[in-house]
Amino acid sequence: MKPAPTLSTAFLYPAGQSLPKPLLALRKQRGTALVDMPLPTRKTENWKYSSKYLKLTDDMAISLPAEGKTGSSLAVPGYKVAFLNGVMMPEACEYPDLDGISIQSFSDLSDEEASDLADRLDSTLDNKAVQMARLNSARFEDGLLIRLKPEAVLDQPLFIVHEVTAEASGSAFPRIFVDAGRHSQITLVEEYISSGSAQVMVNTVTEFNVTEGANITSIRLNMEGENVQHIGSTGVVQQRSSRFESHTVGFGGPLRRHDLQVRLEGEGAECKLNGVVVTQGKQHYDNHTTIEHVAAHCNSEETYRNIAADQSHAVFNGRIHIHQDAQKSNADMNNKNLLLSNGAEIDTKPELEIYADDVKCAHGATIGQLNEISLFYLVSRGIGRREANVLLTMAFINELVEQIPVEAVRETVQGRLNHFFEQTFQEA
Amino acid sequence: MLSIKNLHASVEGKEILKGINLEIKAGEVHAIMGPNGSGKSTLSQVLAGNEAFEVTEGEITLNGENLLELETEERAREGIFLAFQYPVEIPGVSNLQFLRTAVNAMRQHKGQDEMNAAEFMKLAKEISKQVDLDPAFLKRGVNEGFSGGEKKRNEIMQALLLQPKLAILDETDSGLDIDALKVVSDGVNALRAEDRAILMVTHYQRLLNHIVPDYVHVLAGGKIIKSGGRELALELEERGYGWLGIKDEETADSSVN
Ligand SMILES: Nc1ncnc2c1ncn2[C@@H]1O[C@H](COP(=O)(O)OP(=O)(O)OP(=O)(O)O)[C@@H](O)[C@H]1O
Ligand SMILES: [Mg+2]
Repeated sequence: MKPAPTLSTAFLYPAGQSLPKPLLALRKQRGTALVDMPLPTRKTENWKYSSKYLKLTDDMAISLPAEGKTGSSLAVPGYKVAFLNGVMMPEACEYPDLDGISIQSFSDLSDEEASDLADRLDSTLDNKAVQMARLNSARFEDGLLIRLKPEAVLDQPLFIVHEVTAEASGSAFPRIFVDAGRHSQITLVEEYISSGSAQVMVNTVTEFNVTEGANITSIRLNMEGENVQHIGSTGVVQQRSSRFESHTVGFGGPLRRHDLQVRLEGEGAECKLNGVVVTQGKQHYDNHTTIEHVAAHCNSEETYRNIAADQSHAVFNGRIHIHQDAQKSNADMNNKNLLLSNGAEIDTKPELEIYADDVKCAHGATIGQLNEISLFYLVSRGIGRREANVLLTMAFINELVEQIPVEAVRETVQGRLNHFFEQTFQEA
Repeated sequence: MLSIKNLHASVEGKEILKGINLEIKAGEVHAIMGPNGSGKSTLSQVLAGNEAFEVTEGEITLNGENLLELETEERAREGIFLAFQYPVEIPGVSNLQFLRTAVNAMRQHKGQDEMNAAEFMKLAKEISKQVDLDPAFLKRGVNEGFSGGEKKRNEIMQALLLQPKLAILDETDSGLDIDALKVVSDGVNALRAEDRAILMVTHYQRLLNHIVPDYVHVLAGGKIIKSGGRELALELEERGYGWLGIKDEETADSSVN
């Protein structure tokens, strides 16, 4: 029997030493724990469909340099924080002094602040379920700490543009920690983009500590290139009466993985998770979500849609875990999938674990193709076949795109979708 | 205008149309009646180009042009319009978007400028009034949650917007209350024109009181077994199909009212 593959030791050594001491210490400790870490294989339950897309070669182990020009031309109507290869670029950031809100690079933290942060990093994630996130903890070169004082409200969305410049092989480890004080509010947009064409890995961790009554909207847009393997993890812990809304829009790549874990720890907490994934060619995308209903009287609502064209492969795994004391939980999970070609593959799996007896829990998953009768109806009105296909495909995700609360993001998404339609549907 | 010669068509290997012959001239209104399952919708769908039905023999020409060589959307642009017996619900595509896309596809085909959203909205509102549909319907998904009668009015609305050369109306009168029947008939009468033909499939003589046909045909067992003037419809109403010598298997479910 072949021994299970382990993470190459080449991946254990971060480059930069510019972080405050407590974070360097944390990173070192996490790195030590990674020695001989098994890599996911086909037999690893949560990587069953995706391990074959994970291709980490030693030349990708090196940290991509934290310098160069950002090539991003994305219009950002709001505040902007720019990261290049996992490191904050102060000169490319645009935001004023904000009342009650601090936005800092990890590198700029005092030892005391860093020590406090070090105690809390990884606290929102179940490390067993997001094993690849541990690599980020051992390797992050920088990070973004956002702290909202109680009642603080950010008046415009904050765009965090993460760009990797793949001039040569390597990796980047962007990291964000959001500490939302009581009744604070913020809308965050994480955009992942890339330039260059060398084989690179982007491994991200984003954490939200959502305290009582806080209201967070998180938008995540994955638009990296065909040379970028992306493994992202998002952890959310919610206290009483807080609300977390997430909109994930992802376009496929050689490997795309996003784990989203939400823990509803305080009564009356509420989360709404929307996701849209579009894959084509030989692309891949895998969304794994977990909602932990720990406290009673919490609501969760989850709606994910996958569209797979050509020979692409999309995966959705939605786990809902209702703990014994989480009476009166209300959980609703819905996943619909659209196959645009016979060669495409979609794997979907709801996982429900319910230990409380007085709960409402609904789930549904479907996989289908475009409806021939609908298509005939449209073309019988003179609408071209291509356009009819686009209308029906858009119909499948319209509702989710329209719910994205930032217009500029909707426009970016629509632009990318149009590009996808052009490549996927031809005039008959 | 439309010429059908010896048309045979099958679905899933089963022959449904067994040699249809029909000539329709511009300006004429033809009614097709006949028992359930006799092939009326099949004929309509074949004319519109539904590929679920295979034409095995015969020809169809529209103004001399071979229809069978055209895709559904090309036929539509050449002026074929089918009002579906069962209009399709398409959640996620708004009725407005659907109608505007269709109208603009036609305009583009004719070399006309596309209509912008505001222009189209004005036109759509006018026509929705004409068929007595609340303009609020424009915002809803295509036929989504529409009642049977609303769906039929939406079909007529589309015919009025698209101004076809040949309008095929497959039981556009069924399931309508008396007022709706009047609205729909007025819509169809508004379509009547020198350069347009109408082919109506119906089970009911009552429609023909509102829209007086030039010819009535009886389709049974995949063939037109009798043709006549409008008095034929009255006779069918009185006597049923029995006297025409239709075999039992052909009237398997003959619930002609
Ligand atoms: N897609 C299909 N697959 C199999 N059989 C079909 C299909 N479509 C129609 N048929 C069959 O073809 C025959 C003719 O059907 P059609 O719908 O044309 O009848 P019709 O005259 O319109 O009847 P009605 O008055 O009930 O609307 C029926 O026996 C029907 O079951
Ligand atoms: Mg019929």
